[in-house]
Amino acid sequence: MTKLNQIGFLLLAITLTFGSCSTKKKNPSWVINEVMVNNKTNMIDEFGQRNGWIEIYNNTAKTQDLGGMYLTTDKNNPKMYPIPLGDVRTRIKPYQQAIFWADAKPFHGNFHTNFELDSTRENYIALYDVDGKTLIDEIIVPKGIPADKTFGYPKDGFKYDEEGNLMATILERVTPNSNNAIIAENPKIAEMKRNDPLGIIITITSMLVVFTGLFLLYLMFHCIGNFSKNMTQKRVAGRRKLSAARSESQLSGEVLAAIAAAITELKEDQHDIESTILTIQQVKKNYSPWSSKIYTLRQLPNK
Amino acid sequence: MNTLLSLGDNLQTFWGFTGFANAEPGHIIMILVGLLFIFLAIKFEFEPLLLIPIGFGMLIGNIPFDEAANLKVGIYEEGSVLNILYQGVVQGWYPPLIFLGIGAMTDFSALIANPKLILIGAACQFGIFGAYIIALQLGFEPNQAGAIGIIGGADGPTAIFLSSKLAPNLMGAIAVSAYSYMALVPIIQPPFMRLLTTKKERVIHMTPPRVISQTEKILFPIVGLLLTAFLVPSGLPLLGMLFFGNLLKESGVTRRLAETARGPLIDIVTILLGLTVGVSTQATTFLTAQSVKVFIIGALSFIIATIAGILFVKIFNLFLKKENKINPLIGNAGVSAVPDSARISQIIGLEYDPSNYLLMHAMGPNVAGVIGSAVAAGIMLGFLG
Repeated sequence: MTKLNQIGFLLLAITLTFGSCSTKKKNPSWVINEVMVNNKTNMIDEFGQRNGWIEIYNNTAKTQDLGGMYLTTDKNNPKMYPIPLGDVRTRIKPYQQAIFWADAKPFHGNFHTNFELDSTRENYIALYDVDGKTLIDEIIVPKGIPADKTFGYPKDGFKYDEEGNLMATILERVTPNSNNAIIAENPKIAEMKRNDPLGIIITITSMLVVFTGLFLLYLMFHCIGNFSKNMTQKRVAGRRKLSAARSESQLSGEVLAAIAAAITELKEDQHDIESTILTIQQVKKNYSPWSSKIYTLRQLPNK
Repeated sequence: MNTLLSLGDNLQTFWGFTGFANAEPGHIIMILVGLLFIFLAIKFEFEPLLLIPIGFGMLIGNIPFDEAANLKVGIYEEGSVLNILYQGVVQGWYPPLIFLGIGAMTDFSALIANPKLILIGAACQFGIFGAYIIALQLGFEPNQAGAIGIIGGADGPTAIFLSSKLAPNLMGAIAVSAYSYMALVPIIQPPFMRLLTTKKERVIHMTPPRVISQTEKILFPIVGLLLTAFLVPSGLPLLGMLFFGNLLKESGVTRRLAETARGPLIDIVTILLGLTVGVSTQATTFLTAQSVKVFIIGALSFIIATIAGILFVKIFNLFLKKENKINPLIGNAGVSAVPDSARISQIIGLEYDPSNYLLMHAMGPNVAGVIGSAVAAGIMLGFLG
């Protein structure tokens, strides 16, 4: 591979790396997942009362604490309702949810906010981080949501579709404290069973990926190897030593020994008396000079 | 009289707790399998570092006891010592630690010197997907088939890692199957190597690998990680640890860390992993028709992988210049049972030409197989996890 090709390959790799960087809109770590504004016959709280509620979903693979964050319905007042600290129930497990009652009765418990939702107008709801400045998630619940219906995301934690459009809508089912999408089986496996019952497609795809990955590794080390060889050759040319030539050339030890012998013989022809003695000694090892590499691997103990 | 009666009751109760009263035929079968593993390890030195812990673990795991008594002694009883040790297998954190050690003890020089040998490691992954197709035909679910298929990667830690994620109920059978066949590589591979190669091909002398620089050795784990993990992030726990371990070895400035990773650390984890995998073969949960199927598919996967590697070299040779031809006897080494399958290439090669040392060349596809199987595991996890 010429130097120009190597540079071209490097540029292509850089272009591909940066070109493939995702520009998709990201789902936040907490999502206001489902909201009920007008609760007529739906869930009741521990005081036997019906009010609007807000479900917040931990959209990460780690347990997170909601304590110290803020819920608000006013853009100009992000610190409207501070979620109390020190309650173990605000530590939400991965991909689980918590319900907050929008009943303006904060003294009913830690999950009761100091504001209510109004079914006669649009409701803005936002969750702010503990600093009260960083917006984590917000949702605008439009006016006119029917009583006992909820507004949220059909797929838990997924705010945007592939094109980056908001997916919030009136949900088919009301699912407080449980997933909005009921998953009966792993969708990947169901799809695999439907589309590739023989396993041929996954085999071809996977082998392509394996080959691509290792082929890229091959290409990269082919280039690095060539570059390294060129560099060493330049150094060797400066030194003019046989050992350096041995390390660089692809000739076997025997061939190099023969060359050395020939050079010595040539020199002997030019001198009557030689002051040095050339000794060629074969390196003997059980397998090959390379076989010692095996001892860098895990050794089997002798009986 | 009453004292005698109550003594009799006590003895009866005690008898109910003993292994004799709770033994089932399955326990005896698994104990015999455990004894066979120990025999193979000591007599024939087949992977003794693994077969001894697994074999002895089988004895421990198949001592019958009254499971209803909630004694908290069994591996499947939450809170028992064995259960706590088993978490490294269940949660999948033993395999990456083993990979760290493997990385710290593996010399990738052969691969770096002749990078085209990497592709043989890729070809052998056909064993995984061939086994996946067979498992689907035998009625396994796609996730179970994926976990079974990885046996063909011939990599115990990878098999445990993937099965713990995709099919935890089959993990014992998959792990035992993978390690058993890795130990039996000297028996499984040679017939196919002889069958698929001609006399002329077996005596091909390959060009000696060039001497590689320290810089190339240092670059390998860094570039290797970036390329493979960007492509298959789901393989990150295995690939990340493998290449990290290798950087510890090659950087030249972290000798102590590398020695710990390839010495005490990998030994400790191997003991815990081997023992708990052995114990997990408790007959009451292990000995099922599914396990038998897993063993059959496992054997086939090794055969497919070996055949794929050899045939790939033969096809590859059609495109190579005469001086660059590859001896197909190193095709089997893409099965990543390090270093056993490379040793087999060496032994068979020497049988046909006592001056043909293939070990150095076979180590290339052998370590490429480790990378390839970790990548394949990542793909399986991505598709089916």
